[in-house]
Amino acid sequence: MRLVIAALLLAAPLAAQETTESREAGLAAWDRIFEKVSHPRCTNCHVGESGQPMWNGLGYGADTVHGMGVLADETRIGALSTPCRTCHVTTGRANTVPHAPPHISDAWRLPPVELAWLGRSSAEICAQMRDPETNDGNDIAELAEHLRSSPFVAWGYAPGAGRSAPDGTPEDIAADVEIWGAAGAPCD
Amino acid sequence: MRLRVNGTDHEVEVEDDMPLLWVLRDELGITGPKYGCGIAQCGACTVHVDGVAVRSCQLAAADVDGEVTTIEGLGTPQALHAVQQAWVDHQVAQCGYCQSGQIMQAASFLDLNPEPTDEQIDAAMSGNLCRCGTYPRIRAAVKTAAAKLQGV
Repeated sequence: MRLVIAALLLAAPLAAQETTESREAGLAAWDRIFEKVSHPRCTNCHVGESGQPMWNGLGYGADTVHGMGVLADETRIGALSTPCRTCHVTTGRANTVPHAPPHISDAWRLPPVELAWLGRSSAEICAQMRDPETNDGNDIAELAEHLRSSPFVAWGYAPGAGRSAPDGTPEDIAADVEIWGAAGAPCD
Repeated sequence: MRLRVNGTDHEVEVEDDMPLLWVLRDELGITGPKYGCGIAQCGACTVHVDGVAVRSCQLAAADVDGEVTTIEGLGTPQALHAVQQAWVDHQVAQCGYCQSGQIMQAASFLDLNPEPTDEQIDAAMSGNLCRCGTYPRIRAAVKTAAAKLQGV
């Protein structure tokens, strides 16, 4: 019996769990989240199966795939052709040089394939992000923690060297994820 | 700071943010790595750090966290690296300016991926520009070196 209860609890969708925020507040928070995650600063790397990062929203020229024919492949670090770190070195130094490859204090890489955001709708990404099976195994608290602590997210909001960035801060989107989660992670 | 380059330890007095390329060329007199663009768009400055290709114009001296190998340390005249030998066999170089970067890129690539597909060869070498247009010979030489390294 206990096993059955445990299975039922595990199977319970987030929406069926206790909520402490209203559905309206949750949907409004998701809209703010989607506005950020659909920014080219995020979608240029959240590209999914193609393994080809994008150079969209550069502020000059047409949107295009990343130059140099890079392929992140299944390793997500380009280990089978040109590793990301060949150009995107690992350092905490400020990004100050326009058109140079940006760097952070972590190994440059693409997100997991299942975290594809490029070209996806708000509803698709919302469904993806509330399911640990498709969001790299995170619950809501872990998503918020990731947003607060990831050097990639921090860089995305302050990419330097004249690059465009989403409005706000990592703390803003982390707080919105917590509101969205507290409302049961509604998508529509 | 201390840098190990081509098997030799060097003590250099440079600013922390001096690009490794300038440490190699101006401080140590190791001029195989070339300056092309300064923003990792051309590949002429490619060296290895612990065996992995790195654009030395992008790596600050204080951030070097491994042993550096330049074209001068890849092989010897008596025992060329397989990639260097393939470059000679295919007479790849024309003006030669980009070639040390090309060879260092190819050597690192074949170390990480000993049995590459043609698509992977093209992807791996696409970040190294050659204004002379020696690309067909570069591709052929990489294939030859891959076969030699596999003992085919």
